[in-house]
Amino acid sequence: MLSGSDTVYVLRYFDVIGRAEGCRLLLTAANASWTEEHPEWPAEKANQPFERLPVLVERSNGNEWILCESLTIERYLARVFGFMPTDLKQAALQEQMADQQADLLSAFFGQLTATGDMKSKQIDEFNTLFDRMVKEHGRILSRSSSKQHLFGDQLSYADISLYAFYKLFIVYLKCYQSDIAEIVKSKLTPEIINLILSIEKEPQLAPHFSKCDTMAAIFTAKDF
Amino acid sequence: MSPSNASYTLRYFDAIGLAESSRILLTVAGVEWTEEHPEWPQEKPNQPHGRMPVLVEKSTDGSPDFVICESTNIERYLARTYGFLPADLKQAALQEQIRDLMSDVGNLITGYVHCKNEEDKAEFQTKFEGLLETLIKVQTKLLKDNGNTGRMFGDKLSYADIIAYGFYMNLLVSLIKFKADIVDDVKPKLTPEIVKLISTVETDPLVEKHKSRGGSLVAVVSA
Repeated sequence: MLSGSDTVYVLRYFDVIGRAEGCRLLLTAANASWTEEHPEWPAEKANQPFERLPVLVERSNGNEWILCESLTIERYLARVFGFMPTDLKQAALQEQMADQQADLLSAFFGQLTATGDMKSKQIDEFNTLFDRMVKEHGRILSRSSSKQHLFGDQLSYADISLYAFYKLFIVYLKCYQSDIAEIVKSKLTPEIINLILSIEKEPQLAPHFSKCDTMAAIFTAKDF
Repeated sequence: MSPSNASYTLRYFDAIGLAESSRILLTVAGVEWTEEHPEWPQEKPNQPHGRMPVLVEKSTDGSPDFVICESTNIERYLARTYGFLPADLKQAALQEQIRDLMSDVGNLITGYVHCKNEEDKAEFQTKFEGLLETLIKVQTKLLKDNGNTGRMFGDKLSYADIIAYGFYMNLLVSLIKFKADIVDDVKPKLTPEIVKLISTVETDPLVEKHKSRGGSLVAVVSA
């Protein structure tokens, strides 16, 4: 671990799952000293380096260091706390999964906001990409020795990022599109559902579920 | 660091798009590399995520080639491997966050292009211009704080500089096909510091070997 024991983190975001869940899970799994701030918005916009959230504030030895952009924050925390492999090739294989997930989120909003003849094209594109991604998750999982983790036998960045992604689609995005949770659930294989629920049971993540529900209740016996 | 006998294939369309920064990184890394333009969409199923760009690092010992995808992932991998991203985690993260902000601007342009009615297009136009202005403000401050040398970080060509160049090239030369007035949106907002960044990258001895299908970006921003 590359973080001193007197280092504290503040995650600034809105009080929603949104784009910060991966950051929350990483800080929790790392057992870091951290708190969350929900700045008044848009009053505090001008006080953020990129006028956006999330923002990570790291305070150590009286110094303050600030980082923006959800994926950069995730990769930074994953490296600091040892969830990202130090081997560059292994790290790239995990990072590309997070980038693919980000593409899916863009594709979701793309099909949501598209109008006219673009709408059905964007919906098709979203479904094609999602199905392809689930297949890729399955392929990686099938090569993993432990079916509870994507790579190796310990919780990694890829596991945390995947969990945050499925939580986003199954628990959060219904506030934008009411049927998205059911659409996504119908695409999941029993192996992926098992992976999601295994990650959720990782002892390192237990403190996270004192503040929110697990997804276990969302998947019934017939999903397996 | 990868062994110096590593060689690469970059698969993409015969276009600037999202691959230009990777092309420049491969060039400045001084490695052997070629480009492939797979038949599309026939070759879609043969790519890891069904999309491009894809980077193949050819194996030298009979093991399978190493294949990665996702444009920003390819950029980071090459930049880390060949020393254009610092090893220090904080220093690297400060460069990566700029890249992610640029991607966000790109996504807003995509949003604009996918809208058909004028009201939605106007909303995306406002968001795109607003975020572009934020990006330019952030980059200009970095350039000024770094002594206005045409570099955002340190005193050598960096990942951040290369990505910025590729980003503005895509915006000003490539995206015209999708948004005809994009040059009018972007050019007036460019600060002298950004123009100097573009020139510093284009004229860097390591970059000069890269013959972009887009021609000279300096010529476009100076016109």
